[in-house]
Amino acid sequence: MSGQNWLGRKRAELRSWMRSVMQRRRVEREMDAELEFHVEALTADLIRAGQSPAEAARKARIALGPVLMHKEGMRTSLGLRWVDELGSDLRYAARMLRKNPGFTAIAAVSLALAMGANTAIFSLAKVLLYDRLQIPHADELKLVRWTGDDKVIAHSSWGDFDNLPDGTQTSSVFPYPIYREISKHPAGMESLAGFKEDSMNATVRGTARRVAVAEVTGNYYETLGVHPQLGRAILPSDDAVAGSGDVVLISDELWSREFGRSPEALGQIITLNQTKLTIVGVNPRGFTGAKNVLESPDLFVPISLEPLLTVQRVKGSDLSNPDFWWVNVVGRVKPGVRDSEAQQGLRVQFEAAVRSLATVKAGDTIPRLQLVDGSRGLHWADRTYKKPLSVLLGMTGLVLLLACANIANLLLARGAQRQREMSVRMALGAGRARVVRQLLTESLLLAALGGGGGLLLGYLSRNILPRLLTNSWEEFRVQVPFDWAVFACTAVIILATGILFGLAPAWFAARAEVSSSLKESAQTATRRRRGLSGKALVGFQIALSTMLVVGAGLFLRTLTALTSQDVGFNTEHLVLFDINPPSARYPAGKDVALHEELERRIAALPGVQHVTPAANAYLGDSMSNSDFLPDGEKYEKGNRTAEDLNVVGNDFFPTLGIKIIGGRGFGAQDTATSPKVAVINQALAKKRFAGLNPIGRMFRADRDEKADLIRIVGICADTYYYTLREGPPAQFFLPYVQQKEVHGMTYELRTAMSTASLAPVLRRTVQGIDRDLPVTNLRTQREQISATLQIERALAALTSGFGLLALALACVGIYGIMAYSVAQRTNEIGIRLALGAQPGQVRRMVLGESTWLTLVGIVAGVCGALAWTRLVKSMLYGVEPNDPATIAAGMAVLIVMALVATWIPARRAAGVQPMQALRHE
Amino acid sequence: MVAKPEDKGTDLLQGTLDLLILKAVSLGPLHGYGVLLRIQQISGEELVIQQGSLYPALYRLEHQGAITSEWGESENNRRAKYYRLTTAGRRRLDAETEKWNRMAGIIAGILRTTPESL
Repeated sequence: MSGQNWLGRKRAELRSWMRSVMQRRRVEREMDAELEFHVEALTADLIRAGQSPAEAARKARIALGPVLMHKEGMRTSLGLRWVDELGSDLRYAARMLRKNPGFTAIAAVSLALAMGANTAIFSLAKVLLYDRLQIPHADELKLVRWTGDDKVIAHSSWGDFDNLPDGTQTSSVFPYPIYREISKHPAGMESLAGFKEDSMNATVRGTARRVAVAEVTGNYYETLGVHPQLGRAILPSDDAVAGSGDVVLISDELWSREFGRSPEALGQIITLNQTKLTIVGVNPRGFTGAKNVLESPDLFVPISLEPLLTVQRVKGSDLSNPDFWWVNVVGRVKPGVRDSEAQQGLRVQFEAAVRSLATVKAGDTIPRLQLVDGSRGLHWADRTYKKPLSVLLGMTGLVLLLACANIANLLLARGAQRQREMSVRMALGAGRARVVRQLLTESLLLAALGGGGGLLLGYLSRNILPRLLTNSWEEFRVQVPFDWAVFACTAVIILATGILFGLAPAWFAARAEVSSSLKESAQTATRRRRGLSGKALVGFQIALSTMLVVGAGLFLRTLTALTSQDVGFNTEHLVLFDINPPSARYPAGKDVALHEELERRIAALPGVQHVTPAANAYLGDSMSNSDFLPDGEKYEKGNRTAEDLNVVGNDFFPTLGIKIIGGRGFGAQDTATSPKVAVINQALAKKRFAGLNPIGRMFRADRDEKADLIRIVGICADTYYYTLREGPPAQFFLPYVQQKEVHGMTYELRTAMSTASLAPVLRRTVQGIDRDLPVTNLRTQREQISATLQIERALAALTSGFGLLALALACVGIYGIMAYSVAQRTNEIGIRLALGAQPGQVRRMVLGESTWLTLVGIVAGVCGALAWTRLVKSMLYGVEPNDPATIAAGMAVLIVMALVATWIPARRAAGVQPMQALRHE
Repeated sequence: MVAKPEDKGTDLLQGTLDLLILKAVSLGPLHGYGVLLRIQQISGEELVIQQGSLYPALYRLEHQGAITSEWGESENNRRAKYYRLTTAGRRRLDAETEKWNRMAGIIAGILRTTPESL
């Protein structure tokens, strides 16, 4: 038969099958009518041939034969038979599952939890660690970086900076003039675009707020290949002249939030750090800028505005200063040019540009330029999340394994219980394939139940994880899309387990000789052979649970160790917020005056006991340091003379509740014109003035010998500074009123009021001075500390959750296997009891059996735990990876759990009545 | 004419029922009982079809698109399902007829063989 004919027939069959399935009732009616007509016509013919009507009808029916079988044959012809069988299998499977609600619930819930957790965590990991920028051909985008030794020329920089283990340094920021020079004719590259992301104060539609801003070069949009969904992009003509180009593009998200996606947004004015900018375009949805893949800056402006927008560091404008390294650079390699060639060409150009433009002092080295993958931006998420996510991925993998073991165990145990049912079915003539199909349907139905739950759970929890990783006061904007690919992967693993272990009993059942199986199911002896695979599975579950419980214990101990420390100041009832006055409006001196005025007005608010501005809030991952040179000491190259510094208000020590140990704190007598003073902490006193009384001594906070001398007037108690992971550092404090400039400061308020009730009052107060000045990051000190412990807390919470889930699953596993074992051994136990065993002995026998199983599992688990906890050493605090207490506690938890799970089967065994047991068949 | 009871007459060769049905309906639309009668008639009452196996075969052929059916009035004014050959069915009938004839020829040739002709 030709292929075309075959295809035509298949198409006709499909059409006919669809019609039959859809119009099933009509098909059945027609079948009946057709056979009925056949009988009638035959009867009529027989009557005509001379038979009596009754005889004719009888003969006609005999001639047609068994109608039911013919109808079955007709259904088979239409391809309806397997549909019917599937339907009845499903009905039967559903009935079986309904009859064992406990089994069904445990199996489905454990599957759902494992799948949900896996989907959520793998989706998050995919977004954080693998997703690319949403731009055309993201994989071709290259990021320009450099690496250099410790004498590298980049002395003054703003941006990422990493010390590598081999002593070299790497960074991805460049001086703007050098970038500009190379980007004119970049060797081997189509173009090089520069950008810098920063946060600034913006007034959008009358509300002042802190926004994320990307300053970009004129060729940024063209280089990335991004076209605005509305209006125009930033063009090379926009950033031609420093200080010009007052245009702005807004993100899709800001467009929705502030303008309701109205095209009217174009042409509106946004005030950014006091500069008025016109909206000329809206970025496409999903575009997040070149820096990261998670969140988009709200505003994109020409980089030529930099001198107007930001505090200009060191000397001159950032745009013309060849010694200030701050711009990120990305680009695409020309088609046909190899990456290594482009890198080599750029390297040469870069070195030439540095030599001709930058100030190269003796001993300075020029770093080596590198082209690296830029498809995921600066990879900042990798650094923060790679380790915790790897741990979570590992743990969810274990949970998934555990759920698979659990379902396997449940299905195997049930298969053994149903051996007899299968034998009866086969004795009654069911084909082996038919029995296997029936069992498979049941496994798949169960897996589908769990899968449905997992889908729901994964979908609902996809945003919980990223929420755990962001702080509580900032708007939550990271969206983790539900990842179908990840879900499908998990589903396939679980389905495969379900099929594999659902089929195993089916396979045994189908292979078994019907008669022997029927005979064997008379409970004659202990059947250890059958129980073995189940026990191995339970042992495996216990081992996995041990690993998870020990891991959870370590992360919990880390979190408690971190949070239970005495940080040296009172963290209760302390409210923080940030004020960042734009430097264009508040140049040096004016900013100090602004803070003085704000401090005065906030101190007068009802309910505020103390207030102080500070350059750095404590335990917020930020710090400052400065040279600390007691009078007489000279700065020498190579000597570390820097100490941690905080610039604070006069009311700082009372506000935070830090004790003054000797001398005095700051007070009203310390003003801009009074002699310069400082307070140092005990650690600094011990470190730099060992055996001396530091009070009254003078020092310079600058290596320049012409700088003012500062008198130490007091010593305060030690406090933690920027992280809970390091104890109190040596610190000194300077009053901000005696500084030339301070820029933004964090206000700290000692008050019993909540942030919610303070927010409107503070906003009114601040905007009473300047209506474009936003109150940002309003939070309590407690929230601030929590925010720095986000990863630790998320890890502790998730690993504990997994630990509990693992315990529950192992508990179910032990209960199941022991209950099964006791049921199988009822006969044997009856004989033991009849021969004089005490119920207590029987109970001990059962408990002993499960304890052995548990101990074996625990030992295996502890070995596993010791192997993998070493990998997380750097993430722990105050506890060693092989902490004996944690491991012992984990073991104790598992033993108790095993005893609890075995208690009911053990009691049932002890309560067996010998006579009943022996009669029991 | 009356449809004959089974177990008499020549047994049908495996796989030839489909061909006979196609041939029967190729001569004009027929209902199931009519197909039975037509086959008996044209075989000179030599072939007897198992009445029960007729319907699954009819359904199979219709399922495969070789014949199509339609409800109509029977000769004694009863509603009956009439089968008709489709274009695909016609092609199939021709192809299978040709195949059958070739096969029959070959077999006949083999059976005619005598020791002398070898």
